[in-house]
Amino acid sequence: MTQAILQRITDGDGSAVQDCLDKYGGLVWSIARKMLRNSEDAEDAVQEIFVDIWKNAERFDESKSSETTFIAMIARRRLIDRIRYATRRITAESLDDVLLEPFTRGDKDMQVSLEAGQAAEAMRNLRPEQQQVLRLSIIQGMSHQEISEATGMPLGTVKTHARRGILHVRESLGLGGANISREATV
Amino acid sequence: MNEETNDILFDLLTKKAVYGLEEAEQGHLDDLDAGTAEMEFRSLELAVAAISTVGLEEEALPFHLRSKIIEDGEHHFAEARTLVSELWPPATSRLSSVSEKDDVSGGSWFGWFGWAAAAMACIALALNLWFTRPQPSVEVAQNKPPVDTPRSLSPSELRDQMLKAATGTIKAAWTIGNVKELTQVVGDVVWSDDSQKGYMRLQGLPANDVAKETYQLWIFDKTQDAATPIDGGTFDVKSDGEVVIPINAKLKAQGPQMFAITIEKPGGVVVSKRGKIAAIAKVETQTKPTA
Repeated sequence: MTQAILQRITDGDGSAVQDCLDKYGGLVWSIARKMLRNSEDAEDAVQEIFVDIWKNAERFDESKSSETTFIAMIARRRLIDRIRYATRRITAESLDDVLLEPFTRGDKDMQVSLEAGQAAEAMRNLRPEQQQVLRLSIIQGMSHQEISEATGMPLGTVKTHARRGILHVRESLGLGGANISREATV
Repeated sequence: MNEETNDILFDLLTKKAVYGLEEAEQGHLDDLDAGTAEMEFRSLELAVAAISTVGLEEEALPFHLRSKIIEDGEHHFAEARTLVSELWPPATSRLSSVSEKDDVSGGSWFGWFGWAAAAMACIALALNLWFTRPQPSVEVAQNKPPVDTPRSLSPSELRDQMLKAATGTIKAAWTIGNVKELTQVVGDVVWSDDSQKGYMRLQGLPANDVAKETYQLWIFDKTQDAATPIDGGTFDVKSDGEVVIPINAKLKAQGPQMFAITIEKPGGVVVSKRGKIAAIAKVETQTKPTA
């Protein structure tokens, strides 16, 4: 059972390591490759991420998210830390491709988890500019400033789209929060 | 919270979830924190993680990397077992013949000798507290600042000073112990053998009810048996958020290999039964002398 992997790791079941790699190795590797774009860095990061996963497995709460999302979150935390210590930004030559890339992948049968499918569905319900900002910032790793420069949107608008878009997706996924903000409207 | 502040808070939380924050931004966020920001952040972080998997074209993990990770995993599990069962086994050898009936939760190795020693330690601690008050903006009440601590500096500033100036400073990151309710304890501990000073930076330890319990630090160093680590002092946490706490080692510590924080009865104990380990920090780095 997929859902049992992190629990098995918490219980000290060594065989769960291999199962975890079978199930989530590709996910973590792909996120690292996407965010770091350098194989050597990505390899180091992925090793660190899995150590983080072993250490944090017991914090997984299946009532709050899927294992996939939890593992993606652990991966992103480590990758963000690494990125903050290095200057990495999307390369100029790939920028046009990124900007022109249509947001259609959610239609394909390639979502790594049910939650990813739901997130894709939620994103499709966003305004096109919000979709674009989320895709460029979260999926492509561009800063708000870079998105502003690349798209011509004012920086404040980029931030607003990012904030509202994420809140909408969060609400659609039922991930809760303390409702500080009331603007999860599209 | 007005709408403008709310927007700023959410911009910071969103940025933190997507990119992480600079120190100044984190400081700003801490200032704005309405008490619920942490929960908001966690849910935003999960939403961002879910979005990050949308349309992700999975590549297979390279085989050689998979092998390394499996090795790391084996090492991690072996190390975890060592930490819990070998490096810090149930400390019984010294007191194994002593009655255990007086322990609050039952099944204790804490006998009459232990109680007597604990009482003496409490008296010493009380005297210590009396003679060392007031402390400079310390979040906690019971830890004595290092002897020659300038009173004008906070523990946080002293910690920074130590990291900048000290050579051979040991640093270790906190991770959770065996208390189920504590799902997130982060921060680090820094220690200098030369100055016999150190500081714990902690986030995630909940405020304790001082009438019922206290936190107590234990230092596992080269000079002491793992069953009898050095008492690093008791402390209380009065509010959520980050706290920086000076270490008050009762004995000279040399080459600490691990630090552990347990939850004990008020006043602390001489020997912990290790029933509630709030956090553990295993030493991994030693800073080089600064140029």
